[in-house]
Amino acid sequence: MPVVVEITESVIRQNIERAITEVFRTMIRAESSLMTAGETFAAPDYAPLEPHRPQVVGTVGFIGSANGLIYLYFDLAFARFCTCQLTGMTEGELEENGDEVINDAIGELTNMTVGTFKNALCDAGYPCKLTIPSIVRGTNFSIEPIGAATRHIFNFNCAGHLIVADILLERDE
Amino acid sequence: MRYKLLTVDDSKTVRIIVRKAFKGFDCEILEAVNGVEGLAIAAKTMPDIILLDVTMPVMDGVEMLTKLKSDPGLKAIPVMMLTAEGGRENVLRIAKIGVRDYIVKPFKEEVLVEKCGRIIDLKPLNEGAAKSRSIFDPADILVVEDKPAIIQQIQSGLKHTPWKIRGVASQGEGLDVCSKGSPDLILISLSLPDDGAFTLFRLLRANPRTKHTPIFALMVKTETEQQQEAQTVGFSAMITKPIDPGELESKIAKAMNLDTSQRYFSLESDCLVMRLPENSSASVLAEASIYLKPKLTATVDAGFNKVVIDIQPLKSLHMGVIKILFQAMQLCRELTLHYALVGNAQIIAECKGFEDTRTWTFHESVDDAKASLAKSAPPTPVAQLAEVS
Repeated sequence: MPVVVEITESVIRQNIERAITEVFRTMIRAESSLMTAGETFAAPDYAPLEPHRPQVVGTVGFIGSANGLIYLYFDLAFARFCTCQLTGMTEGELEENGDEVINDAIGELTNMTVGTFKNALCDAGYPCKLTIPSIVRGTNFSIEPIGAATRHIFNFNCAGHLIVADILLERDE
Repeated sequence: MRYKLLTVDDSKTVRIIVRKAFKGFDCEILEAVNGVEGLAIAAKTMPDIILLDVTMPVMDGVEMLTKLKSDPGLKAIPVMMLTAEGGRENVLRIAKIGVRDYIVKPFKEEVLVEKCGRIIDLKPLNEGAAKSRSIFDPADILVVEDKPAIIQQIQSGLKHTPWKIRGVASQGEGLDVCSKGSPDLILISLSLPDDGAFTLFRLLRANPRTKHTPIFALMVKTETEQQQEAQTVGFSAMITKPIDPGELESKIAKAMNLDTSQRYFSLESDCLVMRLPENSSASVLAEASIYLKPKLTATVDAGFNKVVIDIQPLKSLHMGVIKILFQAMQLCRELTLHYALVGNAQIIAECKGFEDTRTWTFHESVDDAKASLAKSAPPTPVAQLAEVS
């Protein structure tokens, strides 16, 4: 049995940083970096994730010795870019195939990210399994956690685009 | 044999990526969105390999794997997990049920193809088409050689061909080129440092994209030990330095299974023209003679009855040439084909000097020979048809 490591803020940060970096480098061929508090984008074409802009949010949970849920927020334009990179489709082909393809691609990216995150928890002594991905999309909405969860939000700069990872972990009783 | 690969994943994106990854290979991709569908398709089609996700609705991958392995008819199908569900204990638990490999997402398409290539003998799609490729078709040839002068020699020696010769100086650069595309043939210099040629050869053979690509070794003639080692590991051919461009071209054509008949035979209107090149060495004549009977037979079969045998490009006559000319004329007589010879002054004079060739009649040009045949030979059925229409 592996030695059980306490799930601290630092462990969560390391795991999500590794997960985002690995997934986006491997699948999208884009480098990502964790933004520090107060850091702003240097990229001139950066459009911040604002609630009134169209967003695609992927969600995957993990259940077992550790329970939680991770939301990954994408600006719609970046979600489209990621879908094209993943599937090899052109913008025109994406248009023809409709939103379903984007939803599926963002669901899969979230699944891989949360998988990498929770696999590290498994190896740290918290065996758990993934749930099936789901997608929320629209404008002008926010997702609020229930009271029994701790919340950790991390912003990533992925090739000039913002990815927000919103991690909810069930509190120990 | 066309392999069947079944991908079982609820994500359409992953199924698209799998399809994309194997696009260049001769295999059929089947898709299922959950374990129930996966089992049904597996029973119906008996795929050669299954790529299986874990987390899926209706029936997950672990349940499907368990059912598959308990079915005597399906348990032999190799399964490779392709899932975000990792963690040492999870992997061990699933591996115990019986999987051939386990890929944790995220994954690179090259890794997926490489791992599948260890289970099924993946062949690039163009391999089957190679037989029908001709010497005049473009091809991509990679030379991995740390001496730029040798690369230049090869490029210059083969510049009359439609082949694109790319040179790189190191093992790493060679691998990089092969990861982006599949050259039709690779030449590796055995002089690469640190046994780099052999390491590169093994890596290329382990990659399904280059597993069947002809790989030649470039070496100095006196390096017999290296030559033996290259033969033992399975290099397709040895090319010794200094490089003879003619020999290299011929070996490349042979290794790529190119149809070289167009070098010697062409159908011009209603007449087959057989032309021997200036450098009609023993290997060139041997190659031409392979096509001789099939080409003459095909001419008759197509409804034509005239053949021009053109040896104008030759600078001198030798026994090999005389032999193939005798063979050609004999076959023409057997197949009732009318033939005419075309030669230059030197060749005509040399023919007069041999007892067996003294009586041969030559024309000065192919057009003269065609005109002569048109007078002496009856029109072909094809020509008659053309006249009628």
